[in-house]
Amino acid sequence: MQDLQTRLAQHTDLGEWTQQRADLAFVTVAREHLHGLLRHLRDHEGFTHLVLLTAVDWLEDGQFQLTYLMNNRAAARDIGVRVLIPREGADMDSIHDLWPTAATYQRELREMFGIDFPGSPRVDEEFILEGWRDMPPYRRDFDTLKYAQEEFAERPGRVSKDPETHMKQKLYPDGA
Amino acid sequence: MVQDLSDRSQYPARNRDGTLDVDLTSGKYLKLWQGPNHPGITGNMSVELTVCGDEVVEGKTHVGYLHRGFEKLMERRTFIQCFPIVCRICVPEPDFNEYCYAAAVEELAGVEIPEQAKWIRTLILEMGRFNSLMMYLGGQSGSLGLGVIGQWTTYVRDLMLDRFEELTGARIYHMFILPGGVRDTLPEGFDARMEETLREAERTMKDVWNVMFQNAVFRKRTIGVGYINPALFDDYGVTGPTARGGGVAKDVRRDQPYLAYPDLEFEVNVARDSDIYSRADVRRRDALQSIDLIRQILAKMPRTGPVMAKMPNMLHWKIPRGETYIRGECSRGEYGFYVVTDGSGYPRRVNVRGPSYTHAMALLERLIVNCNIADVAALLVSLHTYPPEIER
Amino acid sequence: MPITTVLSPFRAWKFLFQNPVTVRDPLTERPGAPRYRGFHQNDAEKCVGCGTCETICQNGAIDMIDVGLAPKDGDSGLRPRIDYGRCCWCALCVDVCMTGSLSMSNAYTWTDANADAFRFTPGVDKKPWDNDQLGYRRPEGHALHGKDRVEMAELEPEARIGTFDEIVAGYDVARARLEADRCVECGLCVATCPAHMAIPQYIKAVRDGDYERGLALLYETNPFSQVCGRVCTHKCETACAAGHEGDPIAIRWLKRHITDQVPHKDYVRIVGKPKKAAKGEAKTIAVVGAGPAGLTAAYDLARQGHKVVVYEVRKHPGGMPRYGIPEYRLPYDILDADIDVIRAMGVEIKCETRVGSDITMDELKAKNDAVILAIGLHLGRSTRIPGSDHADVRKAVDLLRQVTDEDPVDVPKSLVVIGGGNVAMDIARTMARLQMKAYGEVAVTVTALEDKAHFLADPDEIRECGEEGIDIVDARGPQEVVIDADGRVEGLRTWRVQSIFDAQGRFAPSYDESDERIHPGDMVIEAIGQAAGVDMLGEGLTEALEWNRGRIQVDADGRTSESWLWAIGDCVKGPDVVHAVADGHRAAKSILAAFEGKGDEA
Repeated sequence: MQDLQTRLAQHTDLGEWTQQRADLAFVTVAREHLHGLLRHLRDHEGFTHLVLLTAVDWLEDGQFQLTYLMNNRAAARDIGVRVLIPREGADMDSIHDLWPTAATYQRELREMFGIDFPGSPRVDEEFILEGWRDMPPYRRDFDTLKYAQEEFAERPGRVSKDPETHMKQKLYPDGA
Repeated sequence: MVQDLSDRSQYPARNRDGTLDVDLTSGKYLKLWQGPNHPGITGNMSVELTVCGDEVVEGKTHVGYLHRGFEKLMERRTFIQCFPIVCRICVPEPDFNEYCYAAAVEELAGVEIPEQAKWIRTLILEMGRFNSLMMYLGGQSGSLGLGVIGQWTTYVRDLMLDRFEELTGARIYHMFILPGGVRDTLPEGFDARMEETLREAERTMKDVWNVMFQNAVFRKRTIGVGYINPALFDDYGVTGPTARGGGVAKDVRRDQPYLAYPDLEFEVNVARDSDIYSRADVRRRDALQSIDLIRQILAKMPRTGPVMAKMPNMLHWKIPRGETYIRGECSRGEYGFYVVTDGSGYPRRVNVRGPSYTHAMALLERLIVNCNIADVAALLVSLHTYPPEIER
Repeated sequence: MPITTVLSPFRAWKFLFQNPVTVRDPLTERPGAPRYRGFHQNDAEKCVGCGTCETICQNGAIDMIDVGLAPKDGDSGLRPRIDYGRCCWCALCVDVCMTGSLSMSNAYTWTDANADAFRFTPGVDKKPWDNDQLGYRRPEGHALHGKDRVEMAELEPEARIGTFDEIVAGYDVARARLEADRCVECGLCVATCPAHMAIPQYIKAVRDGDYERGLALLYETNPFSQVCGRVCTHKCETACAAGHEGDPIAIRWLKRHITDQVPHKDYVRIVGKPKKAAKGEAKTIAVVGAGPAGLTAAYDLARQGHKVVVYEVRKHPGGMPRYGIPEYRLPYDILDADIDVIRAMGVEIKCETRVGSDITMDELKAKNDAVILAIGLHLGRSTRIPGSDHADVRKAVDLLRQVTDEDPVDVPKSLVVIGGGNVAMDIARTMARLQMKAYGEVAVTVTALEDKAHFLADPDEIRECGEEGIDIVDARGPQEVVIDADGRVEGLRTWRVQSIFDAQGRFAPSYDESDERIHPGDMVIEAIGQAAGVDMLGEGLTEALEWNRGRIQVDADGRTSESWLWAIGDCVKGPDVVHAVADGHRAAKSILAAFEGKGDEA
């Protein structure tokens, strides 16, 4: 996919390029280049199929990574375009004008990660979670275990012993 | 962008924000919920219909009845602990989850699986495809009132489940494709019993042809109904038999071959008309093709050698930072796992791309406009969607 | 619409004349497939309660519960209870099971109105499917963790026999990580380790490459970590859960690996400075004998801020690890490094000071708040067979000491060793090296009472003896040292052993006198056990103390019948480094408690 990288680099400022497989590469671009790059890939490079759009929460870096994965069936290759945006007040330009189906992904990202896509159809409508009041649950700082413990009752009568501690209690309780 | 082809002339105008100007008190429009409990719905979802007379003005898909947050749960589980839960993302065809997940972590960890394991995985995927298509055929005919087809296809699906049971140790959630390979080799006498099952399946498929596809009622209700303009395919991420019913020979098994598919002979099934009948017929031929592929696999696969690669201690397994996407052609289209690792013992992010996600949401909402209420069920089923993979 | 499409569906009528395909008899059970993953089975005898099944279960369906079995070495006594409200039948628990005790039956039909019935302990709570032969068993060769120990590089026999260079090379980082990766962190080993070292935790430190954390963990429980990393009897490895279906984790080598990875100059910083005792709280303690037991107690007490002086009769501290264990197994500088750490805690070691003559026990009692006796076992026992009083019949401990102190040793051209324990192997291999240096060839015969199947020495030692050209003859009972007309030792006359113990289990060997052999040798070395030299106690104290079959009577903490005196280590417990370390800890703890509770003891 070297050829593609060379061609794209001619008119887009490309960030890190990761060649994952012979037929799959990931490239990082700045958010302002995203729309143009996707349009170019779709219209001029044969990447007509939007495979998925999703986010990765790099909580420790304070960033969300958006991944736009596109497929060129004729050439049997995929490219994943990564855009890093700040977690704080996260929003991103919508691409529903390029692929109408993207609106679904963006609606999900809005609900699950709290990333806004202004102008995306029905982006504020509830999607999977109805009546959810907590923080967007796919964020890394949402603690599923804590949520489950608060929300659901544990079945009574469950205890488990750690073998090492149990043997200590039974065999050498004073530690010597 | 493709122009909106549906005729909206007699329907309500749009408000400035793009929503429809529907005044329910006018008596002209009616809200109708199809699902979540409804014979004409696939699984746990519902479609909120706005109808004018017996025509649909607007439809909205509602999911979330089965949301378990798999993608999030996996972030809290070690790589081996993710293995038992992925299959639950799609009940009727769980094996694709197992395969895609295993292949993704194998790629990220640099694990090469043994040859025999590749073939057994292929075998399992084709058995799963056949079963999923049996459910579809039963559902599609059922959506038009032909209940008996579902009984026949359920019967052969059950025979195939017997084969699954003896191969993997379970009927529905097989949990057999471990990262690193598969659990075990084929059991003694498997080939002969599989051949029996395949013959029974072929007999049933003949009946299905005669009673479903050669049935005037079925043809009347499906030919020319539920048309999808192939020009919309890329806009709506249409893949698999839904695309192939419209003449686009999209098949990951051929386009980007994986596992043992390079060594198997098969033609990609296509139909021209992009209506419900075409899609049903592509799937019927896919089922027959699966039968053929299972025979080919059993004839060609190696029977010796390991089925698991040498793996590190699974309890401490850490995978270097990276990301990848693994796809396969499931019975409904492109199925894929996008997996991101961060060097720890847990996945950083797993995103499941199921074909239902695009087919049952944006595409369905688009197609359902102008549809007759009586055809909604048939249209929905013809997209062959499984809601759990939408909400994951 | 062609007419055929109207007629074709009528073909379904053929089913009118066919038999139904449904199962007609609902009362007959349909068994699950042979591999079916049904309700669990657990061989409770084989299960060791390691809890690895619980660790891997992503549903949290498994609890390790106390079913009333007493914990013992390598078995926690806990057994897995499964909650079928959570179980997803993935069988990872079966795949990961360390002993292969857990499996699944092909039973899947069971109804009960009581939901709690579906939470039970397989193999303990009896179920109809407990003895079912069919069901999911882990396929052969399928494992979720490594079964084979990572190989350890060592010197080839030819390269090592002429020198006292250390034989075992130690793991490099890559190999150590591979080996540490095999550990499942069950912690069964900790109870078996006499010092209860934090084994799973320090192995995790190896996996993480965090050697400083590893070292800190080691020195919390064992100031002789470098020594134990080389010569520990590693009973922990016998308890290791991985040993049931593969090689146990090389716990000892991993411990050594940690100590090898940290530069000696960093040890004291990592181990940490001793506490400062509050004003007037600092006590003084005397320790007799600078072996592992005495020095461990000294280390613990000094870390609490007390003043400890250790009296040692020999030139150098270290006790048996220095004077009993040959250098090819434990290089002296390694021992010195461990002792340097102990000294850095403020422990004073006075060598070449004989308690009993240079300073008496009474003086020690008078000057100190507590006294610890850790004098070890340094007197070799004799077989007392005819001829055993000859000058060329030597005791193994004496010879080993001579070698360590570099006193001249007359190396005989050939010799016979009596004994089948590790000391016998040590002296045989030491003398073999000296022979190799002096004469270029080895002529050592080891005669042991036990047969090969019941040998006391470590299997590794026996194997390495063989590699080094030492002849081990098993089941031989010594009868007489043969002395020639000129009064020189000619060899050892032995009879074949028929049995060692009598019906009551007492030591009473019986021989086949017809099977007699003379093992030629210019020297005979007795290596049949050691005793403590208790003369130094003095008459009064010997009288005052309570005794038990020739050993000083002590309580569980090592305290003697005299409240100011503790006796620990080999002299009361029998020979083993790590036991000695554990003894040292117990005594220190007991002394500290005594200080707390009763103030000034002495």
